[in-house]
Amino acid sequence: METDACVHPWPAGNASVPRMALEAAALGLRALVARDAMPGEYAGVRIIPALIISEPDIRKVSGQIRKRGTVGTLVLVDAGENGFNRSLLAMKGVHIVRNICRTHRNAFDHVAARLAEASGVAIDIDLYPLVHARGSARQRVLHRYIDLIRLRSRYHFPLTLSTNACSVLDMRSPGEMQLLCTLFSLPEEDAALALSTPEALLQPVEPVRVVR
Amino acid sequence: MKARPPTLREKKRYILASIWPPEPEPDPKELYGAVLEAVTCLFGDAATARIRPVVISCGTGYVLLRCSRGCEKQLRIALATLTSVGERRIVLHPKATSGTLLALRRKLPPTLPAREGEELVVQYGGKEWSARRYQGQKIDLLEKGIKGQAPVYITQDDIEELACSHRHTRWDTTGQ
Repeated sequence: METDACVHPWPAGNASVPRMALEAAALGLRALVARDAMPGEYAGVRIIPALIISEPDIRKVSGQIRKRGTVGTLVLVDAGENGFNRSLLAMKGVHIVRNICRTHRNAFDHVAARLAEASGVAIDIDLYPLVHARGSARQRVLHRYIDLIRLRSRYHFPLTLSTNACSVLDMRSPGEMQLLCTLFSLPEEDAALALSTPEALLQPVEPVRVVR
Repeated sequence: MKARPPTLREKKRYILASIWPPEPEPDPKELYGAVLEAVTCLFGDAATARIRPVVISCGTGYVLLRCSRGCEKQLRIALATLTSVGERRIVLHPKATSGTLLALRRKLPPTLPAREGEELVVQYGGKEWSARRYQGQKIDLLEKGIKGQAPVYITQDDIEELACSHRHTRWDTTGQ
């Protein structure tokens, strides 16, 4: 199911959730991960609520997850320093680590990649700077993503793709998102897999249990 | 001057893209400048010379573009990075690619129905909003008298919900 892993509807953005869902349906998306939205379905597009945590302290992150994290909500946490990211990847309740492109290159290394693979936490690829930034700022982001894809080819951790759209004008179709991913050598089939990751994160594969 | 034989001519591809918001129609020259800037910024001068992007025609809600054969993928990537034409926010979504203009013209959207792009004045919270209603429940709100303000994108359902939750407010829709 093609899913945009993060959009910011009103009041963070300038479009309502139903309007974003209408646009998503027209673009060929089947689900949206929307910040602080109510779960539901509109125009055939599933709305998955997202809790975005932007805290520099790992204890505050776990406090926020305890306080505000609910079943059916995807928890997205902003990446930080290397140590912070490793703790984050080992923490229960975190689904996606975002804003990797804004961190230092060493903030996500091979150890963090292995941890992400083992814990099943996805790393978000934010397409917003690729669309809106120009010149050296975009080059830096592309370089960061190329490095991330190199690590992924070895450790196979899950990826998600997000437009971080605040407006309907920032939203992109699955095809456009896949094409943008070719800029940093992510194959189109892997990009298609990344588009279906958010829903898989809500239904993680658990070990077999004896129930009686 | 004698035309080149078909086998020696450069092969081209044509792309049909939708424009949002469809109105007002962007100026084709300005749109060409924006497309060229997007392609050059992303791929550089040498690649842009190979791609040769051209805006052929531009109508309400659509644009026809041309590029060299084999470069259509690069042009579509660059179109995804186009965010404005001049001062105006805009987005282009490629819909179809073809080797002939005729095939693309057959895929052009039909003439707009009466309701498409209908202008309304909406009163909410003591403020007057200029609302443009599109087919499929889409409504773009722009506060009247404030220039350069980003529109608010909502749906008909949002208006009904707001009208129910704010009993003291009045949603007046009068055609202009």
